[in-house]
Amino acid sequence: MHITGLLLDAPQANTAANYLPIALQLLFALGFVATMMIVTHLLGPKRKTADKLATFTSGIETHGNARTPMAIKYFLVAILFVLFDVEVIFFYPYAVNFRALGWSGFYSVLMFVGFFIVGFFYIIKKGALVWED
Amino acid sequence: MNAIILSAVLGVVMMFSSVFVKNKSALKHIAAAGLLVLLIANIADTYGCSLFKIDLHNMLRFDKFGLFFNTIGIGATLIYVVLSGRDIEKSGNYVAEYFALIFFVLCGLTLLTSFGNLLMLFIGIEILSIPLYILTGSDKRNLKSNEAAIKYFLMGSFSTGIMLMGIALIYGGTGSFQLEVVRSVFASYKGVSFLEIAGLLFLLVAMAFKVSAAPFHFWTPDVYDGAPSVFTSFMATVVKAAAFVAFIRLFDARVTETSAAVDWKMLFSILIISTLLIGNITAVFQQSVKRMLAYSSIAQAGFMLFALFSLNDMAKEGLLLYAAAYSLATIGIFAILIKMKDVSFEGYNGLAKTQPLLAATNTIFLLSLAGIPLTAGFFAKYYMLASVIKTGSYTWLVIFAVLFAAVSAYYYFRVIQAMYFKNGEAQTDTITPGFKAGMVIVAAIIVIVGILPQTILNWFYF
Amino acid sequence: MPIQYYIALAACLFCIGIIGVLTRRNAIIIFMCIELMLNATNLLLVAFSKMYHGPAFAADATSTAGIDGQLFVFFIMVVAAAEVSVGLAIIVMMYRNVHSVDINFLNRLKN
Repeated sequence: MHITGLLLDAPQANTAANYLPIALQLLFALGFVATMMIVTHLLGPKRKTADKLATFTSGIETHGNARTPMAIKYFLVAILFVLFDVEVIFFYPYAVNFRALGWSGFYSVLMFVGFFIVGFFYIIKKGALVWED
Repeated sequence: MNAIILSAVLGVVMMFSSVFVKNKSALKHIAAAGLLVLLIANIADTYGCSLFKIDLHNMLRFDKFGLFFNTIGIGATLIYVVLSGRDIEKSGNYVAEYFALIFFVLCGLTLLTSFGNLLMLFIGIEILSIPLYILTGSDKRNLKSNEAAIKYFLMGSFSTGIMLMGIALIYGGTGSFQLEVVRSVFASYKGVSFLEIAGLLFLLVAMAFKVSAAPFHFWTPDVYDGAPSVFTSFMATVVKAAAFVAFIRLFDARVTETSAAVDWKMLFSILIISTLLIGNITAVFQQSVKRMLAYSSIAQAGFMLFALFSLNDMAKEGLLLYAAAYSLATIGIFAILIKMKDVSFEGYNGLAKTQPLLAATNTIFLLSLAGIPLTAGFFAKYYMLASVIKTGSYTWLVIFAVLFAAVSAYYYFRVIQAMYFKNGEAQTDTITPGFKAGMVIVAAIIVIVGILPQTILNWFYF
Repeated sequence: MPIQYYIALAACLFCIGIIGVLTRRNAIIIFMCIELMLNATNLLLVAFSKMYHGPAFAADATSTAGIDGQLFVFFIMVVAAAEVSVGLAIIVMMYRNVHSVDINFLNRLKN
């Protein structure tokens, strides 16, 4: 069925009675959620001690803040990983028809890999992958 | 083909020269030599001597127009590197990488001047843009440079998204990315389908973003102002002209005139009017010469849009002439602006006394931008307007453009007035004799082209 | 499924992306919205590719009609990855200078 067809059919269903069950269900859903939230808030016991509010991680004491800044070298490696990872996408079409593409296809891919290796040498020479300071 | 492959290889060579060449000042000589090789290889290509024989399946189509524009673009870059190479050296620690990125931008430029497939258009635009995002943000500690880079990046990739949507819709309508197939579909249909028209409109918006035409110009002043001046010079000239060439290749006469569903002439005239209006009027109120030049580049884009409006042979010639005249003059003005200590209008006060030669050449460049006779800029504007008259309609558009050319003279003459008629001590960096000689040569080219525009155009027809 | 559904879905995703770019203030979220726009395009291209491939394949099993749409998607993904790496580097550079990725902070260039 076409979208336009759907849109043209819409006026025929447009009587108020058809929407009553949906409206009732919406009202009930909203009312139920609201009632439950208010009731649990009012009836539930509250004991706000320090132990209760602490983060619970399988019984191990927490230490440090989760939002400590990471060293920038992780970021650099992550970016380089994304670049080198995504470029592999071009090997899939080649791998599917490498027999049909023959030697010319092989040379093309060789050139592609060659440019890749040049880039890899460049980042090594620039020291982007050196972990120790 | 020569220029595409050589520019990519030279970019890689420049990258590695950062590792192997220890002497920093040698880098700009390597880059200039590389550009010279590129220029010669491209001219050889123009005369039928191609170094590479590759079956391209019509993905790229080399014609005289594109190759000739390559020559202009590479030549302008060569002049730019010769004049401002020393300032590129001073702008940061990664000099070799800056030159490498400039070569990659040229690779994108050569793709854009010869694409025959929408895939190549997309790749060319991206190769042109991505290095520029980096160059814009190259002044890492400067918040203005940061801001410019992030704005340019977000706006650039946003417009790329719109362009891709346009390409996808055109593919849906025509079933091909090949430019000639798309054109034949546009030419054959009596009523072109909704998909194709929507796709072409998306492409129009995206390309208007790239060339900073008026409703989509808002990123331009901020980016041009925030980027380091050396790279603004490159962005505002070579890159902008390349985007225009891609624009005119895409919106060929065969695409726009046969699809009667949209009044393309009216659309382009709206773009032109708003670009001229906003560019010129806002430029009048600027206090900094750099920001004034950013708005003036929008106004000049308005004139270049005339080529897209009329889409005849004269328009194509005119676009080449305009690209050459505008690029040379703007590169010259920026080369002087980089040397100035203060880039506001007051900073130029009394430059004619301290540096008479620079003031004189700067005057020639400004006159050329304003379109005063006997400079290249005059004939560039003349060709653009004549191409509109040749189409036989919309003559009021020409009158409008001439009026705004007069407005533009006001803010260009403000700089000349500051240099010659105001008292002050304009502070500049040390000016070497080589730099002065370079400026004189660029000014001479502008005047010679202004007196004999036929020389450059005859070369086009040879 | 008819192609209209795919066009409608892609148009919805694309519009969500555009609205996100225009209204959000966080540079990372704007960037994600741009990626959403690109992915809407990818979806549309693949759908069109299938649309052109289906009938051609039924007529001739060796037909390659419509394959170019899928190849275009590969190129979009790769170029988007390159763009991501440059863009994230720029955003990180900004974060190191101003300790925020809110683009409301970007008002130094207004007169």
